[in-house]
Amino acid sequence: MTSHLGLLVLFSVFVSTAFAVLMRDEPKEQLRFGARLFGSFVASAIVLGWLLYALPL
Amino acid sequence: MPSSAGRGPASANPYVICAAAWAVPGAGHLWLGRYQKGLTLLVLLPLMFACGLWIEGRLFPFQITEPLVALAAVADVGIGLPYFLAKVAGVGAGRVVAITYEYGNTYVIVAGLLNMLAVLDVFDIAQGRK
Repeated sequence: MTSHLGLLVLFSVFVSTAFAVLMRDEPKEQLRFGARLFGSFVASAIVLGWLLYALPL
Repeated sequence: MPSSAGRGPASANPYVICAAAWAVPGAGHLWLGRYQKGLTLLVLLPLMFACGLWIEGRLFPFQITEPLVALAAVADVGIGLPYFLAKVAGVGAGRVVAITYEYGNTYVIVAGLLNMLAVLDVFDIAQGRK
């Protein structure tokens, strides 16, 4: 796989799952926290990507 | 039985449990009866490490003259046995010109760091703090 977005999404899945498992005890809380973390990862990466796009290189 | 119910301090030496948690991701949680966490980490962290190597990530050498490389090497070793298995298997040379090289490095380094975090979590559980 060489898609930047695909690799970013996969990375977010790994990290948000690990954090959710380590920081929450109940499966329902883990799912909610992990989903929020995953969404934050992807959303912030896309927003930062567009902000960087505006910078002249 | 609750998947991650709180239990008292472990009867075994916490440092031994932490060593097991470092060597085999998830082993510490499994030892302490946190089966859901242990199994998740057992699958997740080696898979992330393997993905990193698969997409041409590199296992960094311990070079004291290059502090950032040495730090990356420390993070790599954080994954435990999978690091040494990869070394023995001769993978992890990395290919700098590969488009996924930096992603691979990030996967491998972060997998090691997450396992270190899991070791700290195991230590807290073993001490009865969680």
